[in-house]
Amino acid sequence: MRAVRLLLFVVGAAATAYGGSLLLPQLGTAMPWLIGGPVLHDVLVAPLVGLVGLALGRLVTNRFRRAWIVAGLMASATLLLIAVPLLWRPPSAPPNPGLPDRDYPLGLAVGLAVIWAAIAVVLVVAATVDRRVADRRTDRP
Amino acid sequence: MIRRPRVPAPEDFTAPSHSPLVTARLGLWLGVAFGLCFGTGLLSHYIQHPPGWFTWPTRPVNLYRVTQGVHVLSGVAAIPLLLAKLWSVYPRLFVRPPVRQPIRLSAHALERISVLVLVCAAFFELVTGLFNVAQSYPWGFFFPTAHYAVAWLVVGAMLLHVAVKLPVARAALSTPLRRRRAVQAATPGVDDRDSSERRAFLRTSAGVAGIAVLATAGVTVPWLRRVSPLAWRSASGPQGVPINRTAAAARIAVPPDWRLEIVWPGGRDSLSLADLAALPQRTAELPIACVEGWSASAHWTGVPVVALLRRAGAPTGRPVRVTSLETDGLYAASTLPAVHARDPLTLLALRINGEQLSPDHGYPCRLIAPSRPGVLQTKWVARLEVLR
Ligand code: HEM
Repeated sequence: MRAVRLLLFVVGAAATAYGGSLLLPQLGTAMPWLIGGPVLHDVLVAPLVGLVGLALGRLVTNRFRRAWIVAGLMASATLLLIAVPLLWRPPSAPPNPGLPDRDYPLGLAVGLAVIWAAIAVVLVVAATVDRRVADRRTDRP
Repeated sequence: MIRRPRVPAPEDFTAPSHSPLVTARLGLWLGVAFGLCFGTGLLSHYIQHPPGWFTWPTRPVNLYRVTQGVHVLSGVAAIPLLLAKLWSVYPRLFVRPPVRQPIRLSAHALERISVLVLVCAAFFELVTGLFNVAQSYPWGFFFPTAHYAVAWLVVGAMLLHVAVKLPVARAALSTPLRRRRAVQAATPGVDDRDSSERRAFLRTSAGVAGIAVLATAGVTVPWLRRVSPLAWRSASGPQGVPINRTAAAARIAVPPDWRLEIVWPGGRDSLSLADLAALPQRTAELPIACVEGWSASAHWTGVPVVALLRRAGAPTGRPVRVTSLETDGLYAASTLPAVHARDPLTLLALRINGEQLSPDHGYPCRLIAPSRPGVLQTKWVARLEVLR
């Protein structure tokens, strides 16, 4: 394992140095876009996720139900992120006829609706099954 | 209960998703996603800027379409995986540095710096890639070179990261997520519940990555075209194929006396559009496969480049430089490598899907070759030059 780690170190350091040297001429303009991700994530996104998680833990005590709601939130957030460049088109973009050539707000709305409808179905079915099982148990003499 | 606010410590995060068992698996998946991105990206880079030792096959004709489709879709899959991984390791942001031990402190600092480079670079690649496919450039740098340079940063920093984490990762990956039945039955409790929540978090992350791919894959997978709501391109467009650069944007004015020039060491020839149309035509189904990951197939009709060269008496089996009427711009010319130049499917196309090429598709004629990026399929061709 030591040899493997050493090899990874050497190759990794070389590749990082090569990438850095390639980036050097554009480092100034690229810097905000490099730093922006982790800063936004660490001071904004992650604390927000934590707060939502805490709130959800209080509001939804059934773990099965909570897991599905969490899945819905994760999927929705991902679709929203992917849609950002399609919905927000800053004026610096060059003219590109035929693009975007779809109704993205509608597509996004439909995608989110499908996800939450599927989750609602799962939760309703699970709740019905739970109730049946509970009923059968109480029916027993 | 009122607690005084303070900076959290890693121990404050008790959710099972922060377990190294989860982190290592997400890391592995992220490594695969970024690995695919890097491999296919490097191929695309070499196809466009071939070093001497590099050759790229012409068959299957969809090869570049597939590699570049994998490139953008594994990048899309990496978005939820990266966020899940960062959530999994968020507590480690608050690890207190070993301030009193200078040697351990400097090791800690080095590791933190390498991880910072990794996270910066990973976000950069995903964000700039996503904006680029939407042809949106809200920044000051030149996208292709910056995206390429930072790709090396991601891969290098990831190798360093794996070198550091290898012992933890190996231990975590060889620990099964699911406890064995006997143990579970004997001690049902917190551990059991944690194990199921860990699996749920991993399952959800993988599922969301799948949804993200489904939501965009229609850019290149024909049977998903109508399914993917966030595909940045549909397959429609004038004459059935989308257009990236219009004749107006390229400021093309086809002169009335347009002739195709063919030049080789020691000779030259030229043909009018009527001459070209009078030559034996060949029809081939070939994709336009853009670096931006979208692709669409069409039936192209025209004269194979190799037949044109043969007829003119020019040497074949050599690279051919194809120049456009476009006077400026990065893509005003491209070089066909020898393997592509001698392939009978490499056409100088006059027609698309049975119609004459529209000005936006490259009238009077355009290059269409198998297994190449769309940016190298030069439109509004004016000149073919056989290189040495
Ligand atoms: C783009 C790719 C990746 C990113 C951005 C990333 C990010 C991170 C970050 C920020 C940390 C916390 C660092 C710390 O301990 O202070 C971490 C930890 C870790 N990563 Fe990665 N990682 C990536 C790929 C990988 C890969 C390929 C593996 C290999 C399996 C991996 C395995 C781990 C492990 C085992 C830990 C330590 C977890 C612990 O000690 O609790 N990561 N990663």
